[in-house]
Amino acid sequence: MSNGLPVDAIALREEVKSKYRAVAVNPHAGYHFHTGRPLTRRLGYDETVVTALPDSAVEAFAGVGNPFSVGGLQRGERVVDLGSGGGFDCFIAAGQVGPEGHVVGVDMTEEMLGRSRATATAMGLHNVEFRQGVIEELPIEDGWADVVMSNGVINLCVDKHQVFAEVMRVLRPGGRLQFADIANGKEVPAGALRNIDLWTD
Amino acid sequence: MLEQSGFVDIQIGPPVDTFGGAGGESKARLFEVYGYAFLAHKSK
Repeated sequence: MSNGLPVDAIALREEVKSKYRAVAVNPHAGYHFHTGRPLTRRLGYDETVVTALPDSAVEAFAGVGNPFSVGGLQRGERVVDLGSGGGFDCFIAAGQVGPEGHVVGVDMTEEMLGRSRATATAMGLHNVEFRQGVIEELPIEDGWADVVMSNGVINLCVDKHQVFAEVMRVLRPGGRLQFADIANGKEVPAGALRNIDLWTD
Repeated sequence: MLEQSGFVDIQIGPPVDTFGGAGGESKARLFEVYGYAFLAHKSK
């Protein structure tokens, strides 16, 4: 790539959309990653909290770790979730920040947004909303967030420096980024990095 | 990369076997892929 990135960002974005559109529509189809309630147990989420959530809030969850394991949220905090998917982490965050706080989930996939918005309505939540957008250009005003979180999404973006620059932009001074993502212990060969299919499989 | 982006007070949690027992386990093992939780702060 002439811009120094190993794959085309737009093509990768379309590949990711296709993959997670399928998860939104059919979360039980079976993927190369775990999903739903079994995954929340594997990742160490508080089972009491997860049990209280409806299936629609949990079944399309496809995170890779537990961003709440490095610290909970405070009452009244304003939170942005990058790549909110079916909304699972947003619903947990909404419970922690309470009615005086606010959670904004950002996702680019229509089907995930439809799922998360319908679930929020069904749960009667007024402190969480879902906006369409990409995490390299967040639909959030400067310095709005106390906390930015994410789960298994940043690794799917080719320009991570741009993502972190956006996180810096939307965080207030002293705000925090708490997220879960995958990291590899062995170096991935350059040829494999240029294979767009390997980014999502 | 977090440091390069200006974050401070960075903490990384223990690894989680995210892909164990899933279809993607073999590829994950090949490159020692695990899930981690990260905490980083924007300076005041």
